[in-house]
Amino acid sequence: MGNHRQILLKNIDHPDQHTVAGYESRGGYSVIKKAMGLDPLAVLEEVKKSGLRGRGGAGFGTGQKWSFIPRNSGKPIYIVQNADESGPGTFKDRLLLERDPHLVIEGQLICAWAVQSNFSVIYIRGEYGYPYIRIQRAIDEAYAKGYLGENIFGSGFTHHMIVHRGAGAYICGEETALLNSLEGKKGQPRLKPPYYPAAIGLYDCPTVVNNTETLAACVAILENGGEWYAAIGTEKSTGTKLISASGHINKPGIYEIEMGYPLLQFIEEECGGIWKGRNLKGVMPGGSSFPILRADELAGVNIDYESLSKAGSHVGSGGFMVMDDHTDMVEAALNVAHFYAHESCGQCTPCREGGHWIEKIFGRISKGGGLPGDVQLVESICGQVAGHTICAFGEALAWPAQSFIRKFPEEFRGRISEAREGRVISRESMNADVGGSH
Amino acid sequence: MGTELGAQGAGAVELVNLTIDGKAAKVPKGTNLIEAAKSVGVDVPFYCYHPHLSIAGNCRMCQVRVKGAPKLDIACNTMVREGMEVSTHHTSPEVDDAQAATLEFILINHPLDCTVCDQAGHCKLQDYHFDYNARPSRFLEQKEHKVKALPLGPTVVLDGERCIMCTRCVRFCDEVTKTSELGMLNRGDRSVIAVNEGKELNNALSGTVVDLCPVGALTHRNWRFNTRIWFTKETDSICPGCSTGCNVKVAIRDQQVVQVKGRLNSAVNKEWMCDEGRYGFMRFLPQKRLASPLLGGAGTSWEMALRESKRLVGSEALVMVSPDLLLEEYDILKEFLTRHMPKARVVLAYRERTLTEVEKVLVSPDYAANFRAAEFSGLVQSVSGDAYESALKQLRAGSVSHVLLVGQRAILPEDCDAALLAGIQAVGVSVGMLTDAASGLASVLKVALPGRSILEKSGLMVNRQSRLQWSERVIDAPLGAEPEWRLLNRISKECGAALCDATNDRDLSLRILGKDTRLVGLSIADVKGSLLSLVGASKGIDLKSYQPRQRTVAADSAGSQPAV
Repeated sequence: MGNHRQILLKNIDHPDQHTVAGYESRGGYSVIKKAMGLDPLAVLEEVKKSGLRGRGGAGFGTGQKWSFIPRNSGKPIYIVQNADESGPGTFKDRLLLERDPHLVIEGQLICAWAVQSNFSVIYIRGEYGYPYIRIQRAIDEAYAKGYLGENIFGSGFTHHMIVHRGAGAYICGEETALLNSLEGKKGQPRLKPPYYPAAIGLYDCPTVVNNTETLAACVAILENGGEWYAAIGTEKSTGTKLISASGHINKPGIYEIEMGYPLLQFIEEECGGIWKGRNLKGVMPGGSSFPILRADELAGVNIDYESLSKAGSHVGSGGFMVMDDHTDMVEAALNVAHFYAHESCGQCTPCREGGHWIEKIFGRISKGGGLPGDVQLVESICGQVAGHTICAFGEALAWPAQSFIRKFPEEFRGRISEAREGRVISRESMNADVGGSH
Repeated sequence: MGTELGAQGAGAVELVNLTIDGKAAKVPKGTNLIEAAKSVGVDVPFYCYHPHLSIAGNCRMCQVRVKGAPKLDIACNTMVREGMEVSTHHTSPEVDDAQAATLEFILINHPLDCTVCDQAGHCKLQDYHFDYNARPSRFLEQKEHKVKALPLGPTVVLDGERCIMCTRCVRFCDEVTKTSELGMLNRGDRSVIAVNEGKELNNALSGTVVDLCPVGALTHRNWRFNTRIWFTKETDSICPGCSTGCNVKVAIRDQQVVQVKGRLNSAVNKEWMCDEGRYGFMRFLPQKRLASPLLGGAGTSWEMALRESKRLVGSEALVMVSPDLLLEEYDILKEFLTRHMPKARVVLAYRERTLTEVEKVLVSPDYAANFRAAEFSGLVQSVSGDAYESALKQLRAGSVSHVLLVGQRAILPEDCDAALLAGIQAVGVSVGMLTDAASGLASVLKVALPGRSILEKSGLMVNRQSRLQWSERVIDAPLGAEPEWRLLNRISKECGAALCDATNDRDLSLRILGKDTRLVGLSIADVKGSLLSLVGASKGIDLKSYQPRQRTVAADSAGSQPAV
């Protein structure tokens, strides 16, 4: 097993880590105290030096994002923690919120000090009931201890923090949809430009939107210095990453690994190898929104931004889904397509209509109603969805679908020709569970 | 008071140079690419964009390629930049493909019910399909089913399946009327426009959402399934309801209004229209028309009626004037009075009412569509309600000896009570030009001449902003009913000489355009095609509705040629 430095998860197994007393006993809230002795810009500089990239999926430089915040706009500056972790196969933030909520709060306070914000929100996925209770309790404790509220550590600095629960829409993890949702509007992404909410965010005020894991990582960065963090991992992918490993492996779970760790080694050692003694067929390394990689493409691939991009996928949110050689890729593709069709916000045309179209075609192929042109048709639809939508959901919908048919074309073609040669499927039975015929 | 064609306002507007499909364009900073393309004659298709609503960017129809951009941009939300190079579907196969794909996407769940859809024939889906796609759909699956024929309020009904989720209606209610009745429910292809909880779409401008709907999803409850649009005659005209002078398009079949739509005019009504004006477009047209002269309430000949009317000449008559005559008619009435009744006192029927907040968006407090024209002609100095109210008082008191009513609404219908009718009956010489045979006025006046409503004549109007507009005849008048100007001309002829030799409305319009120094140089086409402000500096050419016209049509060039 790789000997990974545990930064985020180092205290995760202490049963009292979620309480303020437990957190303090292991040095909790000392980093923010130290950071508040520094100039806010110096704090920002440390984060920049660390090379930390957003852990929510896009991988944008955290320090850079913070530096976009206009400091003298005369408007309040908001911080929004994106804990709307709703993608299939991604469940890392849940662990932090549940088991080490004060780490998350402290990380958020560091950000608050760096950008001089007095108000922040944790936007938590609505279905996360228990994590919600834990983080809310932790905030209450922090208020009681004076880590939140007015005049923190007697510095005169004020910071208030609230938790806001989502209402079950995946799209609210898209930062501008999240902001709309917070404002009480329908959770639909905003039109770009502006490309970042840095200047025009929540209530049109400067806003930092960061993932839970990103903010939690800031604690160690400020504790040990940006350079220390930057030395971990690879040049462009610094630090450690939480990987939510799931699928056909012996030991599914959440692992903190150093960036640049070989992917196959991760499966073999951390994940305990493929279950039931089977062989690996494919991996979706970055959650369901990024392309799947075939087993034969994985040699020499490491879990970091550069290597996975080169291989044609992405680190994403670290939703690492492993599929063994018994996996039916048509069904897997249908499953993913169903999710995206269901979660499309319905705002812009290509995603609203294209997502369901792809799902219906995959559904037809899966039920034995596939037609010879279907693979090319899906390819063409994906091409017209990706890059033509308001937000990145278009890509999240199209890329995985495209990757399934590109990487496993024989499975789709095979299923189609089987159906053509064998039983003849009537339109009626094809449509039977889609809502009846006209 | 100077007349000038709109030109770019005096304020220094920074102009930006760019090329669109290789054509050089120079447009003000802040212009988006749809408008910029329009300025050089390049069409960029769109559904959700509206020049007077916020940008939604959801239809994805207006995608263009901007050189250097990582992917296609939507023209509605991309502002011009110096040196920008833009390619539309005309020059970029990539854009052409994207538009075809967008149309294919929009149509996969859209019912193919054009055969029973009121929008067919003026539907942007149909038009664009032929213009930008015109290939068979590859969609073989079952379409999604949604709500059908759902009333959103008293005026508008929704067909959820036809809806393409452009949200123009939602934005209109949020941003213009600020009543926020509508919203979007559900996600993905189950999305549907719906009325927000506890509300109904019931505001003073509610019918406008039907005009804004680019497809047949929203229809007027009272005009559904009336007729196919290609069986109608559509006329661009002006709403005669109030002095806002909304630009409208009226569809007529068999002399019946089958639909009234707002017409885009950024300077006047944007594209909005009030429900009162729309659904009550024909409300000033009486059921029972006066189509021949009356003498003491009984039928008579034109000779007898005109001879009797002559008794007004030279009197100190009270002349009550309808606020919805044409500018030409006010002008000729002024000439008539100068020549035959110099001692007459002229009162324009004018009363203001209280408006609701939503009405204030568009509606004027008066019901006096053309009162500004009466002022402009010099017939009355400055219109106020006081003169009208005191004239009514005098009529009721019976202290008037001669009265001339020009136009049915010279006395507003709500004022025609028993006391007033008795007062008029007591007047020695009373002549009226009326349209309504059933009104009390027709029976109490000594002479009643059959007039026309403003919908039955063409001519010039001046709205509350002093914008000169062209009101086109929408329907034909019944045989026998004469425009008021011709009635005046006939009375004048009876007195010795005609006021003018015009034989139709157009002659009269050319006459005033030729003789009024403030209007010289303008043709009818100028008035129809551009936005003319009669006061102060012009508000500028509006790119959206202004189409420069050649002044080569001989019949229109009143300025250089004498009217025939």
